[in-house]
Amino acid sequence: MSKFTQNFTAPSHGVELRSEALSLIDSLPVPTRRSERWKYSSVSKLANSTLSTHKGGAVGLEGWPEEINPNPIPELDAYRVVFRNGVYEPTLSDLPIADGIVCMPLSSISEDLARTIFNNEYHKTEWVGALNAAYFQDGLYLHVSKNIKLDRSIVVHHLTDGENVANFPRHYVRIEEGGEADVVVWSNATEKSSGMCNSLFEASVAPNAQLFLEKITNEAGDIYSLAHDFITQEANSRFKAHTFTIKGSWVRNELSIVSVGKGTDSIFNGAYMPCGSEHVDNHTTMDHTFPDGTSSELYRGIMYGKSTGVFNGKVFVRPDAQRTNAFQQNTNIVADRGASINAKPELEIYADDVKCAHGCTVGQFDLEALFYLQSRGLDENAARTLLVEAFIADVLSSVPSKELSDEIKRLYSERHLWS
Amino acid sequence: MMGQTEEEKLIDEVTAKSYEFGFTTDIDSDTIPPGLNEDVIRTISAKKDEPQWLLDWRLEAFRIWSEMEEPDWAHVNYPKLDLQAISYYSAPKKKVELGSLDEVDPELLKTMEKLGISIEEQKRLSGVAVDFVMDSVSVATSFKEKLGELGVIFCSLGEAIQEHPDLVRKYLGTVVPQRDNYYAALNSAVFTDGSFCYIPKGVRCPMELSTYFRINQAGTGQFERTLVIADEGSYVSYLEGCTAPQRDENQLHAAVVEIISMDEAEVKYSTVQNWYPGDAKGVGGVFNFVTKRGICHRAAKISWTQVETGSAVTWKYPSCILKGDDSIGEFFSVAVTNNMQQADTGTKMIHLGKRTRSTIISKGISSGYSQNSYRGLVQIHPGAENARNFSVCDSLLMTDTCGAHTFPYIEVKNPTAQVEHEATTSKIGEDQIFYCQQRGIEEEEAIGLIVKGYAKEVLNKLPMEFAVEAQKLLTISLEGSVG
Repeated sequence: MSKFTQNFTAPSHGVELRSEALSLIDSLPVPTRRSERWKYSSVSKLANSTLSTHKGGAVGLEGWPEEINPNPIPELDAYRVVFRNGVYEPTLSDLPIADGIVCMPLSSISEDLARTIFNNEYHKTEWVGALNAAYFQDGLYLHVSKNIKLDRSIVVHHLTDGENVANFPRHYVRIEEGGEADVVVWSNATEKSSGMCNSLFEASVAPNAQLFLEKITNEAGDIYSLAHDFITQEANSRFKAHTFTIKGSWVRNELSIVSVGKGTDSIFNGAYMPCGSEHVDNHTTMDHTFPDGTSSELYRGIMYGKSTGVFNGKVFVRPDAQRTNAFQQNTNIVADRGASINAKPELEIYADDVKCAHGCTVGQFDLEALFYLQSRGLDENAARTLLVEAFIADVLSSVPSKELSDEIKRLYSERHLWS
Repeated sequence: MMGQTEEEKLIDEVTAKSYEFGFTTDIDSDTIPPGLNEDVIRTISAKKDEPQWLLDWRLEAFRIWSEMEEPDWAHVNYPKLDLQAISYYSAPKKKVELGSLDEVDPELLKTMEKLGISIEEQKRLSGVAVDFVMDSVSVATSFKEKLGELGVIFCSLGEAIQEHPDLVRKYLGTVVPQRDNYYAALNSAVFTDGSFCYIPKGVRCPMELSTYFRINQAGTGQFERTLVIADEGSYVSYLEGCTAPQRDENQLHAAVVEIISMDEAEVKYSTVQNWYPGDAKGVGGVFNFVTKRGICHRAAKISWTQVETGSAVTWKYPSCILKGDDSIGEFFSVAVTNNMQQADTGTKMIHLGKRTRSTIISKGISSGYSQNSYRGLVQIHPGAENARNFSVCDSLLMTDTCGAHTFPYIEVKNPTAQVEHEATTSKIGEDQIFYCQQRGIEEEEAIGLIVKGYAKEVLNKLPMEFAVEAQKLLTISLEGSVG
């Protein structure tokens, strides 16, 4: 067993997946910058650290840190599934109870069910994936039956609280034909925290079903946040994702969407505004394998201080995926000296009757717009703030619930001192 | 009969003998046995009567190369080459001269006719003996005189090593060092010849320098090395390649091109590449693994224009290092792939100086079962204040079995930079073809028309001599690819 994993203990559920993954951890290489997928994001410091998985059980409200609200979006009337250091907090959670909805912590599902749902193969190809598959702790299990629409959003709140902790959340969502759900995954961390949060989110969306996913990272402390989301879309299904990085010392969000039926629609947008020495990496893959699919992607980022931003957007159009319409846009602003962005929008197209385009820009604030606002009496700071708000607004405005987008905006404005 | 056997015996003896002594002493033979080791490099160097420093430089390159691995990151698939099976030196052999054009492959002639190449030129290109009254010879002589008057040096690299060793020594390997990449290292170790061009300060070269009208007609070989030096305030337009189909037995071409554009100098480098792409099933064809790079000093400019239609596998990224303030890099490319061809091509723009600007226009056209990728890097370093880049990569798909890919890398480390990249991929417009057909234009001709219009932005950048032929070449390359 490697030094890195010596203090990790795995819960007793999901044995089959764990044993397979455990054998792979040592054989899969720790990613380095030499590997194309990790060219701009180094995990060597993480791999050389000594972390431990959390040992204790649930702490309830008494053990919960005061500065963090267990309900991260107080204005939003939503269900809640709360985890602290990977451990389910039943007293802080509020699960939906309704016909056609099964919602529970992943640790409670039967081994038989586990066998049928854990078919993601990420652990076979990546060290990071093998770690999650071997040590995953708990997470959301959501099953929405045919034609059932979940009446409120489900907020999955994960808190990292402690030094040198390793967290491995794992979530699974299945929406049956015609069903609908909205899931918010919110990652938090206390100021003194350090370590890693290595999470995996799997969802499969049946024909004509719809899934909305909002991912928010707002982690104080010094956390390596590695999130992998795998979405499988069946015919005529709809998926809409939003990824916001508000705060996080080292964040990597990976979103992979694959269409396995005709006429799927995928929308995925994101925003990032790292400050200081923060590192934010957004990797997205859209794999069109069936005809008549559409996808639209918009990621916007502003790099402040000495931060680094990474954007990698892959769009595949497989040979049979005729009449695909794929659009991707990535817009960046490098705001300060010392900040940098590495962008790599990619298109791989193997079908001919397609419309695919991507655009990628790196620039600064529009000087003319700044001047215009100043000529109307705004000082430079206020003018700049207004432009930032407008820049991010295109991403924020497509968030399905207003309460959530307001909360994200509030946090951004608090952090970036918007008026 | 008896005599012949005697002769055969003798030949056997002689050949056996030469092996006894190993090939290092075998100065007189034209071709050295296949394989690559230090002795082979010593032999090449000795045959070319090179100075010691160049031999040392080659040997160092070989040592570096031996420790390198063949890159596999490009979006191409081909059987790995056995580099030990190649002979690394063969002196230009006299080609068998044909009596008349009637003996030339009619297929080849048909293509040349379509390209509009004159009968005399056709004869020259297909190796038919030509009259010595032929124009190009006198043209070449007058060219040489005129260039000499201006102090322009334009000769083979081998000649330059003998005649201008200081210039070669000063600049060789400064833009593409030996350890740059696997094929550049190989080239550095074994390059046989190439072109050398030096434009003195303030001179505007009055004519397009080209390998087409090359004064020195020595075969360029498969490991060609070109060195272009434009001194302060000078200008040169350099043309490489030829629109005529090139039947070449060499499978691997690993060339290196280095350009040095000094303060306020401008170099325009145009390439038309039409090596043998293999047959429709993908058998045969040339592997074109080329390293081309230029460095721009203050207010200098390098402009790369390429029309790539040939080769089975192309792996080529003409790049600009924009080192000096206010320097400019440009890249205009049309890459056509048909049948089983694979192309992974693009550019690198490295912005180091202040107010450096670069433009990238890349047009890919894929047809048949081919794979066509654009791979580009735009890098803005921290000191590159107010750098600008604008990139457009368009791909046109002609069939549902081919692929078009875009892999741009954008790395920005300066807050004043402005970088724009856009790419589109789409099918050739059926409505456009229909419109043309409705007006009485045949389908194939219509496709040619649309493609020419699509690639016009790049074709316009080519020197006149090339532009017309290149347009025809595009049409020919896409023959039989009605989608």
